[in-house]
Amino acid sequence: MQTKNFASWPIVLVLTAISLPLAIMYASLVIDSFTNTPAGAVLPNEFTLEHWAFLVDPTITGNVWTVTFNTLIFAFTMVVVVLSVSATGGYAMSRLNLPYRRFFLAGILVMHAFPSVTLIIGVFLVLQFAGLYDTLIGVILVKAALTLPFGVWIMKGFYDAVPWEIEMAGLQDGADRFTVWRRLILPQVKPGLVALGVFAFIDGWGEFLLPRILAPTTEFQVLSVYLNNVSVPDSVDYDFNLFKSVGLFYTLPILILFIVFQNRLMNIFGGGTKG
Amino acid sequence: MTTMKRKITVAMAAALLSATAVAAQAEDYTITVWSGGTGDTSHYRVDAIEMAADLLEREAAVRGEELNITVEKQVWSGWDDFKQAVTLAAESGTAPNIIVTGHEDIGPWAQAGILRPVEDYVDFDVWPLNQLYDNLVEVSSYDGQIWGIPQDAESRPFFMSRAHLAEIGYSEDEIDALPSQIEAGEYTLYDMLEDAEAMQDAGVVEAGMAFAPRVSNGPDYWQFYQSFGGEMVDPESGQLIFDRQALTDMYQFFVDAAEMGVVPATYLGGDWDEWHRNVAAGSYGMWHGGTWHKSQWENQFELTDFFDKIAFSLIPAGNENGRANTITHPLVYLISATGTDDEAAIAAELITIASEPRINSLHAVESGHLAIGEAQASVPLYANDRWSTEATEALLPHANAIPNNADFGAYWDAMYQGLEAAWTGTSSVEDAVNMAQAQVEADLGDGIIIR
Amino acid sequence: MTDTASSSGGIRPDALVRPADPASDLEKAALKGRPKVSLLGLGMLSPAAVLLLVFFFAPVVLTTIFSFTNMTSATGISGGAYVLSPNLLRELERSGVDSDTLAALGTESVVVDQESIAAARAAGVEEDFLEEIEDDLLGVDFDSKQDFERALKDLPSHLRRTRDLKLAADHFLVSALNTRFATRAEASDAISALAPDIAPGTRDRILDASYTGWVWTTENFRRLATQPETLRLVLNTFFYVAVTLAFNVLVGLFLAITVFYLPKGTGMVFSVLWLLPRITPVVLYAIMWKWFTWDGGFVASFADLVGLPSFNYMKGSVPTAWTIVILVNGCIGASFGMILFSGALRSIPMQQLWASEVDGASRWQQVRYIILPQMRWPILFVTCYQSMSLLSSYEQIWLTTNGGPGNTTMVWALESFRTALSNYTGNLQYGQGAAMALVLVIVGLVLSIIFLRMFRFGELVEKPKIEF
Repeated sequence: MQTKNFASWPIVLVLTAISLPLAIMYASLVIDSFTNTPAGAVLPNEFTLEHWAFLVDPTITGNVWTVTFNTLIFAFTMVVVVLSVSATGGYAMSRLNLPYRRFFLAGILVMHAFPSVTLIIGVFLVLQFAGLYDTLIGVILVKAALTLPFGVWIMKGFYDAVPWEIEMAGLQDGADRFTVWRRLILPQVKPGLVALGVFAFIDGWGEFLLPRILAPTTEFQVLSVYLNNVSVPDSVDYDFNLFKSVGLFYTLPILILFIVFQNRLMNIFGGGTKG
Repeated sequence: MTTMKRKITVAMAAALLSATAVAAQAEDYTITVWSGGTGDTSHYRVDAIEMAADLLEREAAVRGEELNITVEKQVWSGWDDFKQAVTLAAESGTAPNIIVTGHEDIGPWAQAGILRPVEDYVDFDVWPLNQLYDNLVEVSSYDGQIWGIPQDAESRPFFMSRAHLAEIGYSEDEIDALPSQIEAGEYTLYDMLEDAEAMQDAGVVEAGMAFAPRVSNGPDYWQFYQSFGGEMVDPESGQLIFDRQALTDMYQFFVDAAEMGVVPATYLGGDWDEWHRNVAAGSYGMWHGGTWHKSQWENQFELTDFFDKIAFSLIPAGNENGRANTITHPLVYLISATGTDDEAAIAAELITIASEPRINSLHAVESGHLAIGEAQASVPLYANDRWSTEATEALLPHANAIPNNADFGAYWDAMYQGLEAAWTGTSSVEDAVNMAQAQVEADLGDGIIIR
Repeated sequence: MTDTASSSGGIRPDALVRPADPASDLEKAALKGRPKVSLLGLGMLSPAAVLLLVFFFAPVVLTTIFSFTNMTSATGISGGAYVLSPNLLRELERSGVDSDTLAALGTESVVVDQESIAAARAAGVEEDFLEEIEDDLLGVDFDSKQDFERALKDLPSHLRRTRDLKLAADHFLVSALNTRFATRAEASDAISALAPDIAPGTRDRILDASYTGWVWTTENFRRLATQPETLRLVLNTFFYVAVTLAFNVLVGLFLAITVFYLPKGTGMVFSVLWLLPRITPVVLYAIMWKWFTWDGGFVASFADLVGLPSFNYMKGSVPTAWTIVILVNGCIGASFGMILFSGALRSIPMQQLWASEVDGASRWQQVRYIILPQMRWPILFVTCYQSMSLLSSYEQIWLTTNGGPGNTTMVWALESFRTALSNYTGNLQYGQGAAMALVLVIVGLVLSIIFLRMFRFGELVEKPKIEF
């Protein structure tokens, strides 16, 4: 809201002050990856692209592209699982008559708010029984399952907002319930699917704990684990700026997604998963 | 009456079949090796296995057999993740064939059935295993069996800045005499604190920088327990010992150090990188670390002229109860229970070859570790390295190891948590000792003797 | 920001402005008759149900089971074996078991007779080698296994491979020491064979002690209840959750209100900036804070520049460590509050604000008397929701201070993770860690039930309007 009664600059000033740490952190992430700073100084003194050499030279930190590809597969597959299962599950929750529906919804709400990473030993055993320990598919399933309560809940919200009249009309034309869902309802919740998809992608892209514990061998290394390894101070080529460029490289896809889908994401972050 | 070993019959038949029937046929093996706590200077821990595989293949070729070994190696820079990965992988039957870890893991992992005793696969009577130091083989044993082959040895000495000692009035000769004074128990930890304080008072080191112990948990802290007369294990019964007095004195020492201002109360949990940089820059007066740190300081942190700048010794005694000491914490090659007996036999041959003096010296010299066997003194690379030989002579004869005991981890956790609590001032020294005691009593019950 | 927040998914901010009211009419209607179950619904739900069952429900059940065991990395998870080891025999002797029996169990002897040679032959040991053994070693006494193996190596046609030789030697060895018996019966037979006169009670006692696997116990909970460390952890956790929550709510509220008053473009810049921590991968986010606060980082350099003490702010002192732990987590959570509150702000009728301005109300008066009263429910919601997720989150603390300096910023969830899965000594106590995780699960469940009652759960689960 804007009115002419009040000046806005004091607010901007206060906001800037409290946002300063974040602003500096993110600004230096970008600036430092392109510059060199002499020891002890706060400001950089020269522009350089040398910190980005890791993109073409696998001897610096290993082949970053394989890892990126792994991460992409990981995040993308997870999105597909989350979207398909949430789209069907959410519809069933929203519109169809099920036994123990109330109980199930309450359960989902509880899980939604309760990140189960504390139960990781149990998850490990389940994966091991299923023969999926130390496999990419195992981590994907776990990650997708952990995102599901949120996904189902969000999709239910979107389905709830679709007017019943659309469904009624479809049924009166003789279509069955499944066709109605596929042909009429699904297009109505497309914004929700897009937002959930982007959200799940961002979530999967950043995941660290699960791949590290449940798939510890390098074959399936994802970017988060890779970045964490690169940032171990105990290596010869320990170099602040290199990590910043690896870090920036890692975040870039997410930043782009975020900028493109900003408005839709704002809705979904409101129902977010963690504090 | 015959043997009761249940493992044999099937494996036996299979082993004999493969060994005798098909000499001409190619044999393919994939051997995985995982190593924890391994950085850039210690890559030979796993690379030695590759070299060994190459040698073994050639030996087979000379005999007219075709043997192909693919070595898959993976290293972890830390210990937490590594141990977690090994235990979980073992649980799911996908543990690596060869595990490189600290010897203290033998106890719990042997109990859990993760390991095969290496003595069932290799012959300690023949080269190169017959030249290994007996005490290191002892350290690789647990409960009556030899479980592993020592991979490296080290020691955790006390370091002193020669420049800063000189600045508070020590002459060159006095500095040179310090190590033997320390060994004789004439220069104690409290003398050290006084000198550290003097350095700060003289302004040669910054406040809180005069004494810089290890920044995180490690076997090093047991050295201070020993400095105050503590014993970790009863040599006769093999039971762990919780020495209240020694632990109290040891906690008190760090509390005193913090109160004198030579080390911050919030020191533990600090950053390794920062510590290395400070050491290399000469910002500390007294510190203790590992023999292998020297190579890190030189390779990564641009330390030069080590011997001119730094004196080293045993960890001084703390009081009249204790003694000057140092702990060696050898890593060992272990054979996991995963895979077939044949794979285990190949893995065992690989770690045997990797223990050849020449191969092991590559690791020892590059990473600043000490020899595992007598013959390494005749390997020029090792013999000509001043640090390796001096550290071997000055430190190794006095070194002991932490005990191999399945319960020791729990004791260690309790000891360190108590140390953290006392050092940071979260609880008094007495409370911290009581807390640690309550914890070991709860965890180990009769398994530990409280003194 | 768009105004679709109210109609789309998640928690509808506008719905939170009003307090809970009793179950809706629809729900009451639904209680009257039991409508037909939708098979399509079951089908569409089943993938979600299966995944949740497998990856949420099963781990909770397993955690509950584990918490009543003494499972560690030494006992293994999947069960143990029965092993008579020298240490065990010594331990038994200390606890008063008859030493003759133990000596019998501890014997290790080499018997080269026709029987053992026949056994070796049956197992496929080479004939030439066996003949040499029969000729040279039959009936010979050996002090130890090693001596016997050395004697074998002296035979002309001994097996070339060390492993084969040892396997052959095993046939002549009579010993139960260090053998892993898979079942209790096998171990029992072995004990009876070596010590035939053993009393059944003593045998059972030895068998119990020789088991390497885990056993049932309630010790984990007793320990949690009695150790002073527990109280400190609870206080730490409470402090962490309370202060971070306060940060989240206050900063979220402040951001929402100020952005609300700012021109759209300027406001956007700030809301995007505050959303960044939420989308940044956690590893990078944690490392950015390290860069920012560690020795030689921005804060330290800046402090040096203006003459303040320069040190590692993240780990150098307890107050700064806590401040940073709270900021790290708070900055992630603040955006959550910001978005929810912004949604609620937009649902305030503009006329009220305009009218108040005409009356000459100051900004502060507007906020105090018009906006804040309407924020009660969103604030309560954010508090409830965040308190649960803060309670069980540990990734950020783990990657930044990791509970340090010392143990001062350790919280319950991180300690449970550390105990069960991640510590330096490799002493992974699955049972104890599971017990700690279970406590969190129970606290989480209780809190959720309370929160669900507060937030009109009945209305969220409206009955379907078409029954097919």
